[in-house]
Amino acid sequence: MLLAVVVVGVNLCACADEATDQVRATTDKILALMADPALNYEAHISERRQLIRKELHQRVDWAMVARSSLGHHWAKRSRAEQTEFVSLFSRLLEETFIDKFETHQGELAKVECLGEKIIDDYASVKAQVTTKDQIVHPVEYRLHKSGKDWRIYDVLIEGVSLVKNYRDQFDEILAKSSYEKLVADLRAKIPQAVAVAASIPP
Amino acid sequence: MKKAYLEFVVGLFLAIGIGCLAWLSIRLARKEFFTRSGYELQAAFSNGTGLRRGTPVVIAGVEIGRVASVGLEDYEAKVHMVLQQGVVLQSDTIASIKTKGMIGEKYIELTPGASDKTIKPGGVIRETQPAMDLEALIGKYIQGNLAKPDDKGQPPR
Repeated sequence: MLLAVVVVGVNLCACADEATDQVRATTDKILALMADPALNYEAHISERRQLIRKELHQRVDWAMVARSSLGHHWAKRSRAEQTEFVSLFSRLLEETFIDKFETHQGELAKVECLGEKIIDDYASVKAQVTTKDQIVHPVEYRLHKSGKDWRIYDVLIEGVSLVKNYRDQFDEILAKSSYEKLVADLRAKIPQAVAVAASIPP
Repeated sequence: MKKAYLEFVVGLFLAIGIGCLAWLSIRLARKEFFTRSGYELQAAFSNGTGLRRGTPVVIAGVEIGRVASVGLEDYEAKVHMVLQQGVVLQSDTIASIKTKGMIGEKYIELTPGASDKTIKPGGVIRETQPAMDLEALIGKYIQGNLAKPDDKGQPPR
């Protein structure tokens, strides 16, 4: 459920700040796709998901998320391996995100935007999400400026960083096995994530 | 004779005690020297619970510095730490507050990143993760479970 706030959370914020506005524009588009009756039929689910992926790709800097998650192991990989890793990891995150969003979008009740902080080319957007069970979850989006666009490179939910979480996991995996094994595991998880997302009824 | 022996033993214990105090002082002084001879970095945490002067800073479990001071700035915990010379940190290094065990001493863990830019002496560690409020998380988990419908779909009482 908490991954669903990545999209819905900022959409309902009342703040009018630069980075927040851009993230909100993306979430508006994604919510419009979810609500579009023409895309709500089983035959159009994959088309809808493709459109959502396109919006996410514009707002989330998958390459930066992937590189930062791999941490100091990134520099040891060849250019081809790095490209492959970004492709696999971003696909896995996309499918996981879409799955969680479609499952839990009805559970959110209220979102309050707590403010935006910009230092040089980096921004932090803080929000607070309340579920229908009246449980409050703090969320923080971290963005960097790429040209005129602000792009998400990390999300903290309950103070826990997505990137830090994966960085720790990859450190542990690479300490016990090999990079090739990590890539194989990512490849294996993608079809599972796609299958789970596809099993959710419209 | 007996008195002289007794005085000797007392004097010996006193000398050992003073020696231990001197050894302790030298060890502490060495640590103080360590913190002064490194380079300083700053980091801001939204929750800096448990951090204080002398809190260890570690990478991969190895102590590479200590916290020099903790203050409040813009409603965040602003931490000044001194790291040993030669430790190079990427600009996307993440500083997180960890606990030794469930209720142990706090420390700052630095997890190296992938950026080809490094943080210069006197710079700021941009990516931070605050101390986890375990009690709040457990409370939310319990609250969430209590609020969920039961197996028959009935709302919580």
